[in-house]
Amino acid sequence: MSGFGTLTAAWMVADGPAPATRGVVLEQTRALDKFLAEIERRAFRMAQVALRDPDDAMDAVQDAMLKLARNYATRPSAEWRPLFYRILENGIRDLQRRRTVRKRFMTWLPGPKEDPDHEAQDPLDSVADNAPAVPDVLMQHQAMQKLEASLRELPARQREAFMLRNFEGLDVAETAMAMGCSEGSVKTHYSRAVHTLREQLGEVW
Amino acid sequence: MSEETAAKQALLEERSRALFQDSVERIDMRTRSRLTQARHAALEAAERARPRAWFMRLPVLTSAAGVAAAMVLGVSLWLHAPVAHHGAVSADAASFEDLDIVAASDNSQDNVEMLQNDLDFYAWADKAAGEEPSA
Repeated sequence: MSGFGTLTAAWMVADGPAPATRGVVLEQTRALDKFLAEIERRAFRMAQVALRDPDDAMDAVQDAMLKLARNYATRPSAEWRPLFYRILENGIRDLQRRRTVRKRFMTWLPGPKEDPDHEAQDPLDSVADNAPAVPDVLMQHQAMQKLEASLRELPARQREAFMLRNFEGLDVAETAMAMGCSEGSVKTHYSRAVHTLREQLGEVW
Repeated sequence: MSEETAAKQALLEERSRALFQDSVERIDMRTRSRLTQARHAALEAAERARPRAWFMRLPVLTSAAGVAAAMVLGVSLWLHAPVAHHGAVSADAASFEDLDIVAASDNSQDNVEMLQNDLDFYAWADKAAGEEPSA
C-alpha cells in the first residue's frame, strides 16, 4: 500500500466515518421504515379499491415506496405522507390509463374478447366453504364490498379526496398537497363524494 | 348544513372508516409479507441513492484520478509527438543514408576509398588546426 493509502486508512480508523452523519442517516432510515410500515397496508387497500387487481395495487404501492425512498428520504418526515400519496395516486392513474389503452387495443384484435381486468379465477374459489359463516363478519364484508363498488363509481378526484381525508386521515392542506390542487377543490371534491356515497349506499347502510 | 345532514354525514364517515380499517386488518399474510419485502427494497434503494461523504468515496476517487491522469498523459504525448516532415532529415538519419549509398552502389570499392580519403583529410585538418598556434 502506498504511503498515502496507509495514511488515509489510519485516519479513517482513528476518526471513523463522521459519527454524527452516520447517526443522522440511521435515524432517518429508521424513521422512514416506521413510516412505511405504518401506512403500507392502508395504502395497499386504497390502491386495491381504485384498481381492483391486487397485483396492480402491489405494484403501485411498491413503486411509490421506491420513489419516495429514493427521491424524498432526506425531506422532513412531516412531508412524507402527502408526498407518498401523491406518488401513489399518480401511479394509480398511470395504471388506469394503461389499462384503458390495453382495452382499446384488445377490441381491435381478432378472436375472443377477454376483459383484461377480469382476474383468472382460482377453481378453489368456487368450492363451497363448509365453515360456518359468522354473520357479523359476512355483513361487514358485504358492506365493504358495497362501499368499494360505490367508491369505484365516483370520479377519480372525488374518490381520492374521500379516501385520503376519511381513510388516511389527512387534513385539508395535506390532501391538497397530495392531490396537487387547492384546498377549496379538496373541500368541493370531498363534499360531492360524501353526497354521492350517501345517495348510493342509502340510509340503512 | 342542517344538523340532521351533518349527523348522517358523520355516520357515513365513521362507518366507512371502520369498514376500511377492518378490511386492512384482514389483509392476508402473503400480501403482508410482500409489502414488507417492498419496504425493505425501498429502504435499500434509499441507502444506495444517499449522497456519501467524500472519504467514503476515496477508493473510487483515487481510481478516477488515476484514469484521468493516464488520459492527460496520453493526450499530451500524442499532441507533442515528433512529426516526421517530408524532405527534412535529421543528422543521424543522413549519416546512415550516406553509408547506405556507399554500400549499395555498383563501384562500392571506389566509394569506400573515397570515404577513407575524406576521413584522412579530416584527420589531417584537425591535426593542422591543433598545431597552428605555434606556427
